[in-house]
Amino acid sequence: MKAIIALSILAVLNMFFGVRKMKKVLLPLIFIGLIITMILNISDWGKSVHYFNEMFIADNFSIAFSSVLILIGILIFMFANIYYKGVERPLEDIYALILFAIIGGIVMASFGNLILFFVGLETLSISFYVLAGSKKFDIASNEAAMKYFLTGSFATGFLLFGIALVYGVSGSFNLEAINTYILGCNGNVPMIFIAGMLLIFIGMSFKIAAVPFHFWSPDVYTGSPTLITAFMTTAGKVASIAAFYRLITIAFISLHSELTTTLTVIAVLTIIVGNLSAVYQDNLKRMFAYSGVAQSGYLLMALIVLGPKSAGILLFFVLSYVIATITAFAVLMLIREERGTFFIPAFRGLAKNNPVEAFAMAIAMMSLAGIPPLAGFMAKYNLFVLTAEGGYTWLVVVAVIGSMISIYFYFKPILASYFSEGEPQHKIESSVNFKINILVLSILMILLGFLPQVIINLL
Amino acid sequence: MIFSKYLFFILSFIAIYAALKVLISKKPMHSVLYLTLTFFAIGGHYILLNAQFLAVVHIIVYAGAIMVLFIYTVMLLNLNIQGEFPKSRLAKFASAIAGGILLFTLIAVFRSYDLKVLADPSLNQIGLVKNLGKILFQDYYLPFELSSILFLAAMVGAVMLGKKDIY
Repeated sequence: MKAIIALSILAVLNMFFGVRKMKKVLLPLIFIGLIITMILNISDWGKSVHYFNEMFIADNFSIAFSSVLILIGILIFMFANIYYKGVERPLEDIYALILFAIIGGIVMASFGNLILFFVGLETLSISFYVLAGSKKFDIASNEAAMKYFLTGSFATGFLLFGIALVYGVSGSFNLEAINTYILGCNGNVPMIFIAGMLLIFIGMSFKIAAVPFHFWSPDVYTGSPTLITAFMTTAGKVASIAAFYRLITIAFISLHSELTTTLTVIAVLTIIVGNLSAVYQDNLKRMFAYSGVAQSGYLLMALIVLGPKSAGILLFFVLSYVIATITAFAVLMLIREERGTFFIPAFRGLAKNNPVEAFAMAIAMMSLAGIPPLAGFMAKYNLFVLTAEGGYTWLVVVAVIGSMISIYFYFKPILASYFSEGEPQHKIESSVNFKINILVLSILMILLGFLPQVIINLL
Repeated sequence: MIFSKYLFFILSFIAIYAALKVLISKKPMHSVLYLTLTFFAIGGHYILLNAQFLAVVHIIVYAGAIMVLFIYTVMLLNLNIQGEFPKSRLAKFASAIAGGILLFTLIAVFRSYDLKVLADPSLNQIGLVKNLGKILFQDYYLPFELSSILFLAAMVGAVMLGKKDIY
C-alpha cells in the first residue's frame, strides 16, 4: 500500500520535472524514489496488514513479489540511459509509464478482491500497450503495439466475463468469500462457476503467454523497443504469475485437485512448444520471446503441485529469471546499438574484445538454460523436486527434456562469442558503469545459485 | 412487472441484433451507428435494474462522447471504405468451430444453472446516486482511487503517442 502511494507520487514528480526539462534530475530522482519505495514495501514484512475491506492484502507473499517488481524497475532504469543514449528529450512519459506499470504489477501481486485485481491488470496492460509502441516511427513497434492492444483487450474481455460469472454465482468479489462459497457447495459447484473460472484462466494464460494463447508474444516482444521488451517479459510475467498464484491458492484452492489436469496440459504444451519454437530462431530477441513462453511453462508447474514451499520456489524462480533476462537484454542492447542487428553473428569475437560483456552474457544464458551451479539451475532443481514429490514424475521428465532442448539455443550466443571462427568484429565501447552493473548482476546470479534456501525459506 | 419482463426481452433482442450488425456491416459507419444502438439498449437495461445514474452516465459517456469521437475519426480520416478483409477458408472454418463450441458451452452452462429469482429491482435502491456514492467511497474506495492511476497512465500514453519525437 505504501509502495503504491510512493510510486504514484514518484511518477507524478517525475513527469513534473520532465515537463520542466530537467533531464539530469530524472534518473537520480527515480532511483532514490524506487529505493525508498523498496524500503517502505519491506517495512510491512511479517505484519500481514489488510487494507480497505480486504481489498489489498500486504502479506509476505505480496511483499516479496512487489519487491521483485520494484527491483525490476531499478534494473530497467539502470540500463535506460544506455538504450536512450543520444535522446534529447527528458523521456519523462516513458519513465512514468514504466512506474505506472509497476504500480499495476504490485496491485496484481497483492489484491484480495477481484475488482482490484482487474484494475491492477488494466493499469499494467495499458501501460504495456503504450510502451510497446513507444518507438513511434518504427513500423515494427507500431505493429507490436497494435497487436498487443487488440489481442490483449480480447483476452481482458474473457477475463472480465469470467469475473462476472464467478461474481454472479458466488455473490462476492472477495477471494476468501469465493472460497467460502465453494466450500458451501459441498463438492457440487455449479458449472457456471467452473466456466467463469476457466474464462479467468484463459485471460491469465494469455497474460503469461502460456501456449494456446501465446501467439501474440513473439511479434510483440520482437517489435517493441529492446528496453521495453526486457521490462515486459520480466514485469508482466512476474505480476501475472503472482496474480495467478493468489487466485489459485486463495479463491480456487478447494477446486485445485480438479484444476490440475487443465494446468498440467497447459504447462506441458507451453514447455514443449516454447522450447521447440525457440530452436528455430536466429533473431535473439525473437528467441527470447519464445524462451519466455517456455519459462512460463516452468512457472505454471509451481501452480500444479502446491506444497508449503511452492511460493518460495516460485519467488526464487522468478528472481533468477528476472536477473538473467535483464542482464542478457542489457548486453543485447549494447550490441544492437553498435552492430545494428539482433542476429547471432553479431556476437562473433565478443569474448576477445569485450570480455566483461561476453562473460555476463554467458552467465545469464547459462542461468536461463539451467547449468549448475547458477541461480537458474537451483530454481529449476527445486521446482522439479517439488513437482516430483507431488507425484508428477512424467511432468518433470517433460520439463527436463525441455531444458535440454533449451541448452541448444541458449548456447548459440555463447558459442558465437567464445568459439566462433572467422573475422572477429570490432570492439564495442561501453562505460565502466555499465561493466560494473552487469558484473554485479552476474555475481548475483552465481551467489544465488549457492544460497537458494535463503530466498526459498522467506515465504 | 410483466411489462418490464417484455421490455427486457425487447431490449435484449435489440442489443444482440445491433451487436451482430456491428460485426456484419460492411461499412464502418454503419457499424459505428449500430454500436450506438447497442449502447442505448444496454442503457435501457440499467434503467430496468433501477440504476438510473448508471444508465445516464452510460449514455452520456459511451453513446455521447465515445461514439461521437468514433464517428468523427471515421469521417475525418475517410475510413468509410467498404469491403471485407480477406481471410483464408481454414481460418474461417477454425474460428467458426471455436466460436461455436464456446457458444454451445456457455449456453449449456447457463441452462444448467437455475438462476435465483432476484428481488424486485424497483424496491432496492442500490442504483441510486446516493447509495452508489456510498458504496464507491466505502467498500470500493481503493479500486476507485486506483482507477485514477489507470486513467492517468492512459492519458500520459495518449499524449506520448501524439508527440512528434522519435521516442
